[in-house]
Amino acid sequence: MKVSYVSSNAINQALRYSLMRMQSQIISGKTEMTTGKVADTGLALGARTGKAVSLHRDIDRLKGIIDTNALVSSRLSATQDSLSDLRTAGEAFLSALTVAASGSAEKSTSREAGKVMLETMTGIVNSSFNGEYIFAGVNTDVKPLNEYTDSPPSASKAAFDAAFMAEFGFSQTDPAAQGLSAAQLKTFLEGTAATAFTGAQWQANWSNATDQGITSRITLSETTETSVSANEQGIQKLAMAAAVVADLFNSNLNEDALRQVAEFATSLVGEALGDIATTQGRIGFVEQRVTQASERLSLQVDLFSETLLGMEGVDPYEAATRVEELMGQIETAYTLTARLNQLSLLRFL
Amino acid sequence: MSLSSALSIAQSALLATSRRTSVVTQNVTNADNADYARRSAVLISDQSGVRVSEIYRAANDSLLRQYLNANSAWEGQQTMLAGLNSLSLAVNGQSNATSPAAAIGDMQEALQLYAAAPSSSSLADGVVNAARVLVQTLNNGTNQIQAYRSELDLEISRSVVDLNSLLADFHAANKAVVKATAIGGDATDALDKRDAILKEISQYIPVSTQTRDNNDMVITTADGVTLYETSPRNVSFEPTSFYAAGVEGNSVYIDGVPVKTGTGKLAAMVELRDEVAVTMQTQLDEIARGLVTAFAESDPAGIGPDVAGLFTWSGAPAIPGALEGGLANSIKINAAYDPDAGGNPVLLRDGNTYDANPDDNAAFTDLLVSFGNNLDASMTFDPSTGVNTSSNLGSFATNTISWIEALRQTTSNSEGNSSALLARVTETLSSATGVNVDDQMALLLELEQAYEASARLISTIDEMMSILLEMAG
Repeated sequence: MKVSYVSSNAINQALRYSLMRMQSQIISGKTEMTTGKVADTGLALGARTGKAVSLHRDIDRLKGIIDTNALVSSRLSATQDSLSDLRTAGEAFLSALTVAASGSAEKSTSREAGKVMLETMTGIVNSSFNGEYIFAGVNTDVKPLNEYTDSPPSASKAAFDAAFMAEFGFSQTDPAAQGLSAAQLKTFLEGTAATAFTGAQWQANWSNATDQGITSRITLSETTETSVSANEQGIQKLAMAAAVVADLFNSNLNEDALRQVAEFATSLVGEALGDIATTQGRIGFVEQRVTQASERLSLQVDLFSETLLGMEGVDPYEAATRVEELMGQIETAYTLTARLNQLSLLRFL
Repeated sequence: MSLSSALSIAQSALLATSRRTSVVTQNVTNADNADYARRSAVLISDQSGVRVSEIYRAANDSLLRQYLNANSAWEGQQTMLAGLNSLSLAVNGQSNATSPAAAIGDMQEALQLYAAAPSSSSLADGVVNAARVLVQTLNNGTNQIQAYRSELDLEISRSVVDLNSLLADFHAANKAVVKATAIGGDATDALDKRDAILKEISQYIPVSTQTRDNNDMVITTADGVTLYETSPRNVSFEPTSFYAAGVEGNSVYIDGVPVKTGTGKLAAMVELRDEVAVTMQTQLDEIARGLVTAFAESDPAGIGPDVAGLFTWSGAPAIPGALEGGLANSIKINAAYDPDAGGNPVLLRDGNTYDANPDDNAAFTDLLVSFGNNLDASMTFDPSTGVNTSSNLGSFATNTISWIEALRQTTSNSEGNSSALLARVTETLSSATGVNVDDQMALLLELEQAYEASARLISTIDEMMSILLEMAG
């Protein structure tokens, strides 16, 4: 009878190989059990490993953008609040002007209303958030609006005085000012005076803000302007109305002319309130855009996390069962080895 | 037939039995020697009794050949896998946590944070710090790759020394075999030794063998280059002591012919040194080039040339237009931006060579946003990097991870297969040629009986002889 031959060495070695395999599997199984992820991403995913790394990175980046978006949103809502405050102050000023235009108010009351408006406006426009002036455009470390003072005269005051002098040849406190007609004043206010509150003169005397706003990245691929500048038309008009009232109601102008001033200021404030409302609307849109972007990003983060889990994740119960099974098998292997060693003819000779 | 001839037959049986017992003893003592082939005594009986005509060696050439192939394949793949593991760990870190791809992500985050609050110089510091980590990752990766290449070179040169001494041993063993065979002597021990040496040679290089007259063996490599014929061929290798990007290692020559890729340790090491490590270096160099390009400054007036910004290199201020060997080593943070070197990180916002923010506005973000856009913009990379040539820098960096991990996965799978094959072939070979102690012990019992029978015969004949002598006396 011929039987196939097996060497003692082969018998002894037979279990070694499978034992080593099982032991290395136990190590990775234990890691998977505790982390809930595959033990070696590279070996499990191969060419898709880069995808997993890029998902990890994107999740971190998206979370970063969500954080910075929160910052942008806070700044926008601070801006929105300031603009509302500005409108409230403007409306109060408007009612004071209405009284002045009807001629039934004291000159000093109207003047005071103008000064209060100027101060309130300067205060609001110069408000800061997180150490940055919110109406400064990109020049956020400098107060956007200079104060308007009589003594010593600020640059803005001097510019207005110069405009008056250039138009009429005497100052507003000169007795000759008494003779100016309402029509003359209207021409002045709409012409020479207006240029002192816009363009280069505004930039030189009133404002340190830039026209350019802060550009923020609100999604991985989207950037938008997320700030309002003090150079907005609404603010310019409000400043002009307040300054004109504060200044000319302290002069020698006659009643008729003053009523003209009040009427001019009234219509200017009306326009300004409209402009500010428009700006608020624009900011509202940006706010909404940022919020929506953040929501989208959150969704993306969830989706990416889920994808990542699908790629790297391991069911810990499954891993635990696998480890249990392996341990059982290894035990069997040990028992077998011990039994095989006992199984020798030598013991019976 | 006389009594004396019966005595001499019984004597020959004793002699044969003791010879066979010595064979069994030799078998049992070598039971756990994997390089030992089982012996058995071949008996011949004739008029004068029984004798051991030859010692048969249970060799199996085809299984041995399978073993040699499986051994080469496994050694090669195992070396390859170990190399890929070290390279992946050295460049990308545990779980790719310290990879250039991850560092680019951190850099983008820092940049985003700074762009959201550009008036904060501490956030600018954050960007420069992230950039520093990135540069360290690239510098470190280059150093590790080149150090690994040097190590491999050393390892190759050691293997070549080993191989030459193995071939010398083989020469001695082969001579002994030929000599013993030619005079009809016992060549079994020499054959065992020769096979053992052959197994060792096969771990370095895949071999195929041919046996000629008198059991003389010829070894050729898988490429067909003669490794041994009558005398060993010289395996030569000129080590290179210093490796840097672009430095090419020397080939291993057998008998003047360069070793090409194939299975075995030697080929795997050469491939790691000349292909895998070099490609990884190219990938790092291209990542470095991508960074220099993405952070380059351009003249707002559109007159001056683009110059290197935050990331600079040995050839600065120019921007490298194509693959630049060793760029990952020479890339560094521009000192003008580096607060540790007395620089000002806020230049990141305002520009260094070209002032993009002449009014020094604190919330100026154009430049920062443009850097972010550049990082996300598609670039063209060198095809020798082995990955997508057209992608943004971040994707390129993750693609390089995919590249090495795909290679690692494939190698790991084939290593698993070849190690299973080797285990199986080893087992089969051992079963075919090895010793079963139980079998030998059973044989020993048989021999014991035979010996006793022969001894009994002798004593009986002796008794008969004495009776005869007494009768005669």
